[in-house]
Amino acid sequence: MIAIRNTTTFWGAGAQLLHWLMAAGIATSMVLGWVMVNLPPGAAQFQLYSLHKSLGITLLALVALRLLWRWINVTPPLPESLPRHERWLARAGHRGLYALMLLMPLSGYVINSAANFPLNVFGLFQIPNLTPASESLGEVASLLHLTFFWGFVAVLTAHIGGALRHHFVLRDNILRRMLPVRHASDDRSQS
Amino acid sequence: MIDATPNALRRRLLMALGLAGLASGPVGAATEWSILHDDSRLGFEATQQGGEFEGRFESFSADMRFSADDLAASRFDVRIDTGSVETGSSQRDSALPNDDWFNVDVFPQATYVADTLRATDNGYAAEGTLTIRNNSHPVTLPFTWEVDGDRARMDGAVVIDRTRFGVGQGDWSDPSVAGHEVRVVVDLTLSKAE
Repeated sequence: MIAIRNTTTFWGAGAQLLHWLMAAGIATSMVLGWVMVNLPPGAAQFQLYSLHKSLGITLLALVALRLLWRWINVTPPLPESLPRHERWLARAGHRGLYALMLLMPLSGYVINSAANFPLNVFGLFQIPNLTPASESLGEVASLLHLTFFWGFVAVLTAHIGGALRHHFVLRDNILRRMLPVRHASDDRSQS
Repeated sequence: MIDATPNALRRRLLMALGLAGLASGPVGAATEWSILHDDSRLGFEATQQGGEFEGRFESFSADMRFSADDLAASRFDVRIDTGSVETGSSQRDSALPNDDWFNVDVFPQATYVADTLRATDNGYAAEGTLTIRNNSHPVTLPFTWEVDGDRARMDGAVVIDRTRFGVGQGDWSDPSVAGHEVRVVVDLTLSKAE
C-alpha cells in the first residue's frame, strides 16, 4: 500500500487518485466536446453538451482540490540528474497544465453563462451563471475555449511524451512514482 | 298565432333580458379591467437540461371581466403573441419561434378563455381552455385577486405539460432536453376600464 500523502520520493495515493481521475475526466471531456460540436442539433447533442458541462464543472472542482492538496503536501523533487533546461521545461509544462485545467472549464462556464443557459450538474444541483447574457462575450469565450483546447492538446502531448521518455528511454522512476506500485526506495525504507 | 310552449316562452324571456342587457351594458356586467402592461408579467418557468430558467411573453392582450360578487358574469379571454416569447437567452429565443416549438408563422397566437370562475379557499379558480398550436385542453388556473381602489392585482400559477400542446416536438420532446412541465405564472396589475 502506498501512503495517502506525498513523500519526497513518490506521489501519495491522494495525489495519484486526483491525477488519474482528472486524466480520465479530461480525456473524456475532450472526446465529448469534439463529438458534440460535430453532431446535428437535437436531443443527442443536447445530452452530450449536458454531460460535457457537468464533467467540466466536476473537473474544475477537482483541480481546486488538487491545487490545495499540492499546497499542503511536499512535492517529490525532480531527479538531480535532470539538466537545467529540462527542469525548466518540466516546471513550465506543469504550470501550463494547471493553468489549462482551470481555464478550460472556466471558459466553458462563461460560454454557458453568456448564453444564459441553466447549468445543472449531472441532474443533481444547479449552479448560478458567472456572467450576464451576452452574445459578444459568448463568442470570445468560445474562441478561448477552442484555443485552450489546442493548447491543452499540445502540452498534454509533451506531458505524456515526457513521461514515456523518462520510463522507457531514461529508465528513471518519474512515471513509476505516479503509479500505484511499490517503489525500490520505499521497499528499502519500510523493510 | 303566439307560440306558447314553455320553451318558446323561455326563449322570449331570454331575448328580452338580452335586449335589456344591451341597453344597460353587458349581461350581468362584471367589472371590466384593463391590464397595465408595465406592471404586469405573463411568464413561465421551465427547465432545460435539468436546469431552471424563466421566460415571459412580451405581447399579450386580454378582455378581463371580474367581480368577486358576480363570478357568474366574470370571464377571461386572453390572447398571447407566441412570437413575443423572451427567455433572456438569444440562442433559446431564436429556437422557440421555430416549427418544433411555437411555430409562430402558422400559430401566431395562443389563447386562454375562461368562462367559469369560482371562489376557492385560497382565492379563486378560473376553469378555461388553453389553446396553443391549435391544441386545446382544459386548464384550471388558481389565482388571487386583490382590489385596491381602481386597481387590482391578479396572481396565479398553473403547471402545464408542454407536450400536450405540441410545444417542443421531435427530438425536443425528450424531457432531459427540456422538461415537460412548465409553470405558467400570471402576475397582473389592472385598472378599472373607463
